[in-house]
Amino acid sequence: MRDVAESPPPRPAVTPEEKSRIEARFASHISRGQVALLRAAHLDVLETARDGVRFRDPTLGRAFFDAFTSAGCFNVGRHNAAVVDALVRALDEVDVGSYLWVSPAKVAFAERLTSLAPGDLKRVFFAAGGGDAIDGALKLARGATGRAEVLSTAKAYHGHTGLALSANGKPHYRQRFEPLDPAFRMLPFNDLDAMEAAASERTAAIILEPVQGEAGIFPADGGYLRGLRALCDRTGALLVFDEVQTGFGRTGRLFACEHSGVVPDLLVLAKSIGGGIYPNGAVLYRARAPLTDFVERHPDFHPSTCGGSDLGCRVSLAVLDYLVTNRLWENADRQGTRLLAALRALRQESPRILKDVRGQGLMVGVEYLHEFMGPMMADALAKEGVFAAFSGNAPQVMRFMVPLSITDAEMSELIAAIRRAFAAMRTLLPVALPAARIPGVLRLLNDESVQATLFGILRRLEDAAARLRRSVR
Amino acid sequence: MTVPVETAEKAVPEAGRLLAAWAARTGAAGRGRAAELGWDFVVARAEGAYVLDTAGTRYLDCHTGAGIANLGHRPPELVAAVKRAVHETDQGNFPLISAEKAALAADLAAFAGGRLPGVTFGVVRGEIFDFACKLARGATGRKVLLAAEGCWFGQTGFALSLSTRPEKALFGPLIPETRILAVEGDALLGAVGSDTAAVMVEPLQAENHCREISAETLRVLRARCSATGTLLVADETQTGFGRTGRKFALEESGVEPDVLVVGEALGAALFPIVAALATEAVQGFMHAHPLLHLSTFGGSDLACVAARAALASYAAVRPWENAAREGKRLRAGLEEIARRAPAIESIAGRGLLVSLGLGTPERARAFCRALARARVLAVPGEVARHTVVLRPSLTLGEDDVALLLDAVAQAAAAVHAAS
Repeated sequence: MRDVAESPPPRPAVTPEEKSRIEARFASHISRGQVALLRAAHLDVLETARDGVRFRDPTLGRAFFDAFTSAGCFNVGRHNAAVVDALVRALDEVDVGSYLWVSPAKVAFAERLTSLAPGDLKRVFFAAGGGDAIDGALKLARGATGRAEVLSTAKAYHGHTGLALSANGKPHYRQRFEPLDPAFRMLPFNDLDAMEAAASERTAAIILEPVQGEAGIFPADGGYLRGLRALCDRTGALLVFDEVQTGFGRTGRLFACEHSGVVPDLLVLAKSIGGGIYPNGAVLYRARAPLTDFVERHPDFHPSTCGGSDLGCRVSLAVLDYLVTNRLWENADRQGTRLLAALRALRQESPRILKDVRGQGLMVGVEYLHEFMGPMMADALAKEGVFAAFSGNAPQVMRFMVPLSITDAEMSELIAAIRRAFAAMRTLLPVALPAARIPGVLRLLNDESVQATLFGILRRLEDAAARLRRSVR
Repeated sequence: MTVPVETAEKAVPEAGRLLAAWAARTGAAGRGRAAELGWDFVVARAEGAYVLDTAGTRYLDCHTGAGIANLGHRPPELVAAVKRAVHETDQGNFPLISAEKAALAADLAAFAGGRLPGVTFGVVRGEIFDFACKLARGATGRKVLLAAEGCWFGQTGFALSLSTRPEKALFGPLIPETRILAVEGDALLGAVGSDTAAVMVEPLQAENHCREISAETLRVLRARCSATGTLLVADETQTGFGRTGRKFALEESGVEPDVLVVGEALGAALFPIVAALATEAVQGFMHAHPLLHLSTFGGSDLACVAARAALASYAAVRPWENAAREGKRLRAGLEEIARRAPAIESIAGRGLLVSLGLGTPERARAFCRALARARVLAVPGEVARHTVVLRPSLTLGEDDVALLLDAVAQAAAAVHAAS
């Protein structure tokens, strides 16, 4: 299933000194805090030899499973030969181009994407990435309805641009940048009664992720989604599904909304449509009033300089071809079932540490009892050669989002590594769990900055010990 | 996918089918509006200062994706660099430390003069402008954001809130504590106070008939910002990387901003990438609050390799010198035409960013149609819709300028004849 592009020439290993220089450069220009945070979690790895489900850290000389995939960008595997080849060939003819002109690549991608879309989602506009696409979708919803109110869900994650951030359900991402758009309200996820009580003829849009990603992998109930569809039909509000993470096979269907059979009014796509090499994004919308009327009146409501670029569309077409030819969503469903079963077995063995295991396809989450266990598990996984991230809006949940091209053997390896990492983390808990029962300590342990400091100190001690061992030898 | 360029006979019906298919998926009005500008063709290839349609017709590109193809379309050395890089790297995992990001950040900070060492990447102008607004609020702990009237910053929430765009009320209340004020008089300057997080300006407003904020006004604004602890944010998306005959337009005044937004010209139209550069003091916020603003595609590793190659080309080619030289030639030619052709009411701009005043939006669109008939692509300004903006590749040669001037003369005559 996995295609590997023409092998890159072997790269020289990066020496620890070179790695230090890279880290210092990154720290001084981009963020010292980010480097400290990643070092503390043993995630100060460099990505080279990116291939299939793995990359290699050139200093450690160790391969890592990519179980984060830039939050679901590498659905077709890293360095997919067909996608890389499409970019290389396209470079002989076109570049970003202009959002004002039509090109064969744009038309072909628009035709292909709308032909695969559910229901009457037969119209499209392009964007450069998730945030740009969400802001564009909400502008269209507000413009088309002539209403301002937007209802989103608690712990939702839609991006960091102005309107996307206004819909974001985690105060951490918002509070230093407020005030944001005042016509946004947040309701509990999977709670139809709450949404029914809130929505009215003033509501322009209800926006949600069919599977909440950063919130900690919460699939929406089919009944909830069908209820929202009916609610929108009653009130004239538009239903917006953010499928930036769930789209293109991730959940075991080409689009996550297919699980419930609900067709939203707008479907927002980005991340994996770029094939892991070239940014692109798209918003599909239903070919009906009031959406089409608004677009006819305001065709330039959201031009995107680099969204739907000529190169991007050639790459995205290759991604769609690869996904469809290999029916990757079926593999996502099969491998996801295996991963869920393995994690549920782990939970049965340790029900007091693992609170829940949930997911859809290859969008899988494991919830620990306490938030501080998320960074601990990330650390344990990194030591076992698995790069995984805890959820941005729920640190107690570890997310596993591997490439959809993962083979049976690779999944077996991944499951074994997770089991080893979990065992390693469990050995630390006899210290951490009793400490967590002391009043105030749990709050402290769950604090992100305390975790960074604590793990940072531990990391420095480890590094000092390693240096000592080397010098003794 | 192959591009049909074999014969004009085959290509023209194919273009018709493609345009119809595009309209069916994106709306008829969008196509109608493009056709109104004479853009009624399908682009098959982009090369240097020109693009070719599916019938093989060659157009001088004076839109360049809103001024991003500063080095021309697909410079061979950059194409070769990207083709090499695609076998070594990819987008990367955005939260990780990246050698590619670190190297580009260092190069970009040096390219911009070294006084703005902090770098944050984005994928599109609106997104990075929104980040600059957030950074200003975060770093100052203040809420009020002011913008000079006439600016156009992009399409996302903050950018839209601070852009001079009449129909933005269609999109809801947007971001509070944002105000747009006139540069003339005391409106903007007088509003800057101890509660102001930042003042956002475009030193030269490409979409607003290339209106410039004078060097003196910029210096006074800088002083007022410094006195009140307000950040001065300059958006050089359309003016940076040589467009105005200088590396950055702000060099004209000698004013140094606290945050500099650079646009898609950073990726030389090969890769979507933009950035915000900040002083060490302002970047302190990003050091203290890692991963608080995230961008999946912003500064993707492959884009960073492409942008580094582009920076090397910018440094080697020094396109600002050609922009100054050919810009002068273009300006002289345009003034000569304007003396004879009453359709062109005014000319503004610097280097190879030039705006022609046509009097009304209808005449501006008719002018674009006539330019397209003469094989030159340009569009009206987004703020000043009675203008037409010329922003070609900065590698434009003398012959290209002659071709452009000839097209402008034809278009001016056509518009005059029709009015």
